[in-house]
Amino acid sequence: MLFLEGVQNLGRVTAPIFKEHLGRNAVLKCKTKRYVHSSCALTAKLKDPPGVKKPPDGLPVFQYIGKHTKRVNKIFVWGNAVTGALGIPDFLNPPPRKRVRKHQTVPYCLQDFSQEARTVSCGYGFTVLTSSKERGKVWGTGVNTDSQLGLQKAVKSTHEGASAIVLDYVIAPAPVDLPLAQLQETQVLQVACGRAHTLILTDGEGVFSLGNNAYGQCGRPVVEKEDYRGSPQVNKVNVKGKVKQLAAGLDHSLFLTEDGEVYSCGWGADGQTGLGHYKTEHQPTRLLGDIEGEKITQVATFADCCLAVSEKGDLFGWGNSEYNQLASVTDTTQVNIPRLLPFDYIGKAVQVAVGGTICAVLNNQGQVYVWGYGILGKGPKLDETPIPEQLPEALFGRNDFNPDVTVKEVKAGLNCFAAVTTIGDLYTWGVNKHGCLGLGHQKDQYFPWRVSLPGEVLSVDCGVDHMVAVIKSLL
Amino acid sequence: MGVSGLQLTLALIKPDVHAHPGLYQHIVGTVLKNRLLFVRSRVLRWSRQDSASFYGEHEGRFFYNRLVGFMASGQMSAHILAGEDAISRWRQLMGPTKTFRSQFTHRESIRGQFGLTDTRNCTHGADSEKAALREMQIFFPEFDAKTWWKEQSEFFKEGRVHFDEGRVEHVPVGKVHSDEGRVENTPVDRIS
Repeated sequence: MLFLEGVQNLGRVTAPIFKEHLGRNAVLKCKTKRYVHSSCALTAKLKDPPGVKKPPDGLPVFQYIGKHTKRVNKIFVWGNAVTGALGIPDFLNPPPRKRVRKHQTVPYCLQDFSQEARTVSCGYGFTVLTSSKERGKVWGTGVNTDSQLGLQKAVKSTHEGASAIVLDYVIAPAPVDLPLAQLQETQVLQVACGRAHTLILTDGEGVFSLGNNAYGQCGRPVVEKEDYRGSPQVNKVNVKGKVKQLAAGLDHSLFLTEDGEVYSCGWGADGQTGLGHYKTEHQPTRLLGDIEGEKITQVATFADCCLAVSEKGDLFGWGNSEYNQLASVTDTTQVNIPRLLPFDYIGKAVQVAVGGTICAVLNNQGQVYVWGYGILGKGPKLDETPIPEQLPEALFGRNDFNPDVTVKEVKAGLNCFAAVTTIGDLYTWGVNKHGCLGLGHQKDQYFPWRVSLPGEVLSVDCGVDHMVAVIKSLL
Repeated sequence: MGVSGLQLTLALIKPDVHAHPGLYQHIVGTVLKNRLLFVRSRVLRWSRQDSASFYGEHEGRFFYNRLVGFMASGQMSAHILAGEDAISRWRQLMGPTKTFRSQFTHRESIRGQFGLTDTRNCTHGADSEKAALREMQIFFPEFDAKTWWKEQSEFFKEGRVHFDEGRVEHVPVGKVHSDEGRVENTPVDRIS
């Protein structure tokens, strides 16, 4: 059976003819990290280029890779297509004899961004991408009713003449104008998207914010009844210290500086700003409480609950706790100041992920622990637990053929998880709204399941109802 | 009030839905499909104060602050819905308040499908006839329920109405007899 499982993975990407040759030899190949993939391609070609190494053990060769072939980055998208967040115009504006596609349940390649993808972030119905080719540039696609993708205009021509209209939806990636001082030198390092706002981190010019500012989540004063639609405003966020990492909640923002301090602004009604009150805050302010004096290495948030991990491997949390997210330290439903979560038994925490009601932590041995409420990945029962429990490592592809596989990154959407393993496989589980897990169906997935992607996954980001992965091609 | 079956209720569509025009259309479609009729519709934007007075009954509960803050965060819309047993049917369509739970227990409901969190949960519905009257007064002070029952309820009961997509309202088809003996030809813009 183990053998069959190994072959199953191969079968998805290899030609049917190749399967016939899979004997004992091929299984040994699996042991050496899928080397079969890189030594043969799918289509037959006649000429053998000289100087290319022959595959050992007489495995059939269908095509040699050219000498200059480079592995390239690609972006794959899946989930709810109605909002345009997938950036594939053909889904919503189909060519003749094709139908409108509302859900994309398997990963689909975003062709425009092949070869130059860098980082992505998914918000509620929109996606922001950066590319390595053009520095200092950001592209956005999806819902733009709060100008979270900047001012996007189109020319509409009628019989009365042409006029410019503000776009509420962008269905293909469109450039977002940033007021950069040095357009050529500045590079965009990270983007983070919330419910209706976008944060952009650059290497030399700090943090920019766009979109809805009803709670000050953009880091500027709240204007009562401000109309965000069609607003060209891009705000430069004033954070003390050099920002290293961004995290955007639905209506608040977190900034992690290189000194390991955390700043926040935005909506605090659940305590998600962690500033000791439940009001809104527009000026990024430093968080104190239990994280004071600790060097924080990563912060995570999605909805109204926030988690952070320190250099020592300690775990901290604040914000909403209606679903047991922080029940290990408090009985209240809202926590407005960072609290140390006493989970010593999980070892040294290195990374955290949090969705609406679901939390996950990754330790330095690559093990994933989950707690909270919802589909946590431990089987078909709905769980509600305040104490982290480990997910079996076998579910992330660790078996006799791949004994060293561990998880290297875990991310959370509103109600789903995604994990990337050390060999570049992507596993997803959770609520499968609009097919956002990329598993080819819309049924909920109760334990981690591998997503079929033609390459090594570099990073993944989850939105409310869609997901985007950056992969490196196999050949 | 209440002539056999027909009931009026107040529905709010919250700012999280209004940020997604497609989703708003879908929810309006869901209401129509379930044979509820739009008597009045209005798109508005609340200030924090409006929101606080509307939810005054919840003051002191832990979610009061965030509910008030959220409702003042963007554009939303108010609708008077008419239909048989409209109050309970609209609440059934909405699903339970706790979105994170209703996405498992009431998957077909509006909140189960599109709700984000327990606060950003798409819709609001009046929970009783008394509340419906009170809330209708807040959002549509010019709407006179008594006159409406007298003059227009028959049209809605018999289905002699036409849906105006631009205004998101049903208007009576035919002649509406108002009190002063005046006869208005439809579509009528304002009755009361």
